[in-house]
Amino acid sequence: MERKQVYWDDVKVGQEIPGYTLKIDWTRQVKQVSGSQDFYAVHHDPDFARAAGHPQPFVNTGFMQGCFSRLMTDWVGDEGFVRKFRMEMRKMNFVPNDKTGTPGDTMSMKGRVTEKYIKDGEHYVEADVWAENEREGVTTPSKCTLILPVRG
Amino acid sequence: MAKTPEEMLVEARKLIGAETKPVQGRYPVEYDPIRRYCHMTDDINPLFLDPEYAKKTKHREVVCPPLMVANFAGPGIWPPATDLPALPPVITPGDRNINLTTEYEFLKPVKVGDRLSVKSRIADIYIKAIRLDPKAFWTETERIITNQNGDVVAKTRNTGLRHRTPEQVKAAGDA
Repeated sequence: MERKQVYWDDVKVGQEIPGYTLKIDWTRQVKQVSGSQDFYAVHHDPDFARAAGHPQPFVNTGFMQGCFSRLMTDWVGDEGFVRKFRMEMRKMNFVPNDKTGTPGDTMSMKGRVTEKYIKDGEHYVEADVWAENEREGVTTPSKCTLILPVRG
Repeated sequence: MAKTPEEMLVEARKLIGAETKPVQGRYPVEYDPIRRYCHMTDDINPLFLDPEYAKKTKHREVVCPPLMVANFAGPGIWPPATDLPALPPVITPGDRNINLTTEYEFLKPVKVGDRLSVKSRIADIYIKAIRLDPKAFWTETERIITNQNGDVVAKTRNTGLRHRTPEQVKAAGDA
């Protein structure tokens, strides 16, 4: 299997980092518990979530980190390295609400290059990365610092 | 008479600066938890999933997705370990948790077979209002994660809060 490799030389400030979309349904929420090993009930028990003041269970920090991990590592490839990451869980991405019939959020992961530079011999890219849904817009604004290989 | 949130904060803030010794994770970095982690987001990156593919890269071994690294260090995330050293519990008026901001700095790749340890520290505790609770307790913690060679592989800072339910806020007269 050949994987595409992005090189620092070819990156332009303002360019988009290829994203993807995930539907937040109950199957996804089960995978979230399996993958993140976060069994806190606010993420899978509607009654518990509502008692705490939330309309519905929502995806957890580990899941969001996994989504950003996929976004960044898909782009930097095998030769790149995620150097820094900062994530803000400002708004939530909800599972379907069976009482109201409200569907689960469709979450899109996106990114854009904001800066590129060389420091101490390494080739850096700074990027804004975020999750958004149709209901709230940007839910999880985040920033990352990535190291990319150079051609030749 | 129950303590007020402000009185509880005075006690809680005495914990600022508390830290653990380095605590080794229960298990080495392993293939199968990484597979499940990738499965939750439909991540099919062969560097995380395919040992034969990884062998042919500069890494020579399956790599741990960067934001999963902390899962293999210290007590892990769930169920809470009671037999490993942990930070002292912060006693708060509420018992409902929300995680807010996570910061990571990565210094070295982590691969299957690595043994990770973590040293944790309470950096700050304060009260700040949120929509659900005007006196939510916010806690900032820092972690330094090292590998079996003593190399620092990651540093993290996490901000989370604990709040009361709307009923608890109302009962306390804080609504």
